[in-house]
Formats: sequence, C-alpha cells, structure tokens
Amino acid sequence: MAPIKEVVFDKTYDAPLLQVWQAWTDPEIIKQWWGPDNVIIPECTVDLRVGGEIYIVMEAGEAMGPYKGTRWPMRGEFTVVQPNSKLAYNAKAWTEGQEQETEIDQVTELNLTEENGKTKLHLKATINKTGPAAGMAVQGMQAGFTQQLEKLAEFLKK
Amino acid sequence: MVEYSNELDAVFGSLSDPTRRDILKRISKRSMSVGEIAAHYQLTFAAVSKHLEVLERARLVVKTRQGKTQIVSIAPKALAAANDYLEHYRQLWENRLGSLDKYLKLINKTRRRAGLSGQEGRK
Repeated sequence: MAPIKEVVFDKTYDAPLLQVWQAWTDPEIIKQWWGPDNVIIPECTVDLRVGGEIYIVMEAGEAMGPYKGTRWPMRGEFTVVQPNSKLAYNAKAWTEGQEQETEIDQVTELNLTEENGKTKLHLKATINKTGPAAGMAVQGMQAGFTQQLEKLAEFLKK
Repeated sequence: MVEYSNELDAVFGSLSDPTRRDILKRISKRSMSVGEIAAHYQLTFAAVSKHLEVLERARLVVKTRQGKTQIVSIAPKALAAANDYLEHYRQLWENRLGSLDKYLKLINKTRRRAGLSGQEGRK
C-alpha cells in the first residue's frame, strides 16, 4: 500500500561519525537540537536496542503564542540498531489531549557513513497513517519554524 | 479559515485509510468506473462504494455519469491542499537536520576553543 508521504534527505555534517551517532541516540544530546527554537524538549528517553523504546516530547514555549504549552509526544520502537551506522524506528506522534485525531504513524530510517572526517547522513522518513486531524498537528509543529529557518541562515553566514 | 480546516480534516480522514489511498493512486493514473475499481479489491461492491463516498465527500474524487456507468476521476485540488500540508512534514525534517548541523558546529567550535581536536572527542 502506498505511504501517505515519504521524504528522503542526504546531508553532510562537518563532524566525526561518532558525534553524529551520539546526537541521534543520547537523550541528553537529542534534547539540545531536536526541537526548533521556541520549543523545548522536557522529556526524552532512549533504550537503544532492537525492540527498545524512544520517547521524545516537544513542548511549545512562550514565543509560540497560542500554541504555548502544547505538547507533541512521539513514542517509537527501534527496529534496527547498528552502532555508528544504521538506526531505524517505527513511531507514533500526536498532539497531547487529541491522541486519536492527531496521530501520525511514521517510520524513520537513518544511515550514517564517514568520509574524510565528515559524516554523510541519509534519512528516510515515511508517514504511513494519519488521524483525521493530523494536518493540524503537523501545522502546530511547523508554527515555530519560519523564525528558526531565518536564524539558521544567519548563523551559517557567520 | 474554519471551513478550510474542516475540508482538510475531511481530506486527512480520507487519507487515513490504506484502501482509499490505494484507490486514489489507481485513479490518479486514469479515471475508472466503480466496477473497475471494485475488481481490484477483495471487498464487496458496497464496501468499495462506501470508500468512494468518503473520498467524494472530501472532494478528492468526482463521479460523472456515462450512460449506465459511473466514472470516478481524481479531483486534484483537494489533493493539492493535502500535499501542501504534508509539505510541512518535509520542512519539519529539513529544519530538524539544520538544527543538528547548527548544534554540531557549535559544540565543535567550543571544543576547538578548549584546545581539543575533533579526534580527541571520538573516544
């Protein structure tokens, strides 16, 4: 059956492989980059083994106005864990309080390789199922991002 | 705006079912009669009709009558609206990967300042 949406990214990071791997698997590090600006990560746990759980909660901060305090949890189960190389998990994301309507079932597959001290990332993210109001949930997550993009562009110019 | 979100909810509600997504995929290639569509599934004609009704209510498909048969065609407008929405999902990941880049640059800068090379950080 056709997935609802599939996105693929290839990106090279000017950082050693281990650092990028840790950024994806160490909950304390995930908290530092996973959410956009104006969004905090109050909870994150990672049980790094096949069948283990990944749990990340994003929470809208002050600057997100009407969305402030909204929580978007994501709970998943690892299907592939190959240290410093491959990571995959099936996860469900939702808006807290509207779990049924806003549910998004997704599969995330990550592939890392090192080349000349840089790390190549290949990411495939697939939405397989959405609740009837999932569009709203995706929009909510999007709300703080425009500003984030501008900040990133500024940062990269330096 | 409210009407717009109701429309979108109908679209996402329709897309939440894999059979309906499959029907959409088929008729996006060419218009088909209800019978033709039903032949692809191990479902009763009534069940397929029901799926088509949901798709029609979300304005993802339109039915036209040709003599005795009903022809189902895709209605690209509603699907385009859903696609615009799903585009946010791509942006979400794009921004997230950008944030990772930002984070890695920041810690490596701090590290270099502290006199550590990237290699020492690889233990």
